[in-house]
Amino acid sequence: MALARISGIRIAGVACAVPDTVRLPSEFFGRYGEEEVTKISDSTGVRKRYLAPPGMCASDLCVAAAESLFAEGEWGRDSIDAVIFITQSSDYYVPFTAGLFQKRLGLSTGCAAFDVNLGCSGYVYGLWLAGALISGGGMRRVLLMAGDTSTKVSEEDRSVNMLFGDAGSATIVEATEEGGEFTFILGTDGRGERNLIIPAGGCRKPSDDSTRVRHEDKNGNRRNEEELFMDGAEIFAFTLAEVPKMVRQVLEASGNTVETIDAAVMHQANKFILEYLSKRMKIPADKVPLSLGEYGNTSSASIPMTMTHCLREQLSRGRMNLLMAGFGVGYSWGSLTCNAGDMVMPEMVFLGSDQIGKEAPL
Amino acid sequence: MTRKEFIAEIENLVEVEAGTLTGESELGDIKQWDSLAVVAFIALVDENFGFTPSPKDIADSKTVEDLVRIVGSGIEG
Repeated sequence: MALARISGIRIAGVACAVPDTVRLPSEFFGRYGEEEVTKISDSTGVRKRYLAPPGMCASDLCVAAAESLFAEGEWGRDSIDAVIFITQSSDYYVPFTAGLFQKRLGLSTGCAAFDVNLGCSGYVYGLWLAGALISGGGMRRVLLMAGDTSTKVSEEDRSVNMLFGDAGSATIVEATEEGGEFTFILGTDGRGERNLIIPAGGCRKPSDDSTRVRHEDKNGNRRNEEELFMDGAEIFAFTLAEVPKMVRQVLEASGNTVETIDAAVMHQANKFILEYLSKRMKIPADKVPLSLGEYGNTSSASIPMTMTHCLREQLSRGRMNLLMAGFGVGYSWGSLTCNAGDMVMPEMVFLGSDQIGKEAPL
Repeated sequence: MTRKEFIAEIENLVEVEAGTLTGESELGDIKQWDSLAVVAFIALVDENFGFTPSPKDIADSKTVEDLVRIVGSGIEG
């Protein structure tokens, strides 16, 4: 395990945006039958999701979230020293997307910018990176963007197409004289490669006519090789093996216990998994806020989405001892503890296609 | 947990009436034995037997008896 301790940083603001297009489970009754859809929805806990329409990217959602932060906070745009984009839904292969944020948000050309390809664990990794850039990398203020449009790669396969929602987030991490320690535990197991994967369309297996043809698998799920495959049982087995362990490690390393934590903000994998994990880790259910009922599994944005949806009042007007845990694709996992609060937290932004900034398209 | 209790848990999980399943029952014939049930089965074993069963072993299982075999010596009696 990698253990990191970072002091002298604070989360100064968190904002999130979702598309204004709603999708309800009932819209799938015609395709799979009401009984099947209700059963899936009861297990995953997803009652509603927001889907990015064609032409709307994760970057657009993150830009909308960042704009709401700049509108409500008092940061000068030229005070952003670095912008990081955590995503599996880049605008292009080339160029990287974080560079476009410099242009779209009017940040200084003196800022550093880069993308990081991570999913469910990405937000914790992003906070660690942002913290490291400040504590050892000479930066004062970092804009961390995290977002995905997973629904664009999970249209027909019912093992994923009722689970994911699209969302983007923006977080400002800055240097501070005050503030306690952020404690991080990070880990990776590349054997998870096959269990959550879009097999084709990259360099390993380039896109061709055959990779775009949907086939039915042995479970009756239809997808092509450029769409997301998820082996839910394997992912759950990995989760059980690693998540309770890393949560125990981060609690111990930070001198915390389940009692001293005010909220455990977990990646919103699905309700069954989160409830079982909470029980296993002996974290009371009222300390595990859920946003997936309203927004689905929003991948890299799920932790800030849960903060915005469930903890906005507490985190904008007070302080909390937070545990965060992200885990999934890779496999990759990360957890952290910190005392956070008094932050700028705008209301959820609902973005329409007509509101995507004019500077966005080519 | 006894074998009988374990099978009763599986019955509960796939929403069939108590006493319906035996060791010979084919998983392929049980309507509710799907990917969600597999995930619930993993949780069932984890919670009651203290280990995470291999998803591959579960996928390879043909009958209820194969599932009993996964927990092996964990079954009492």
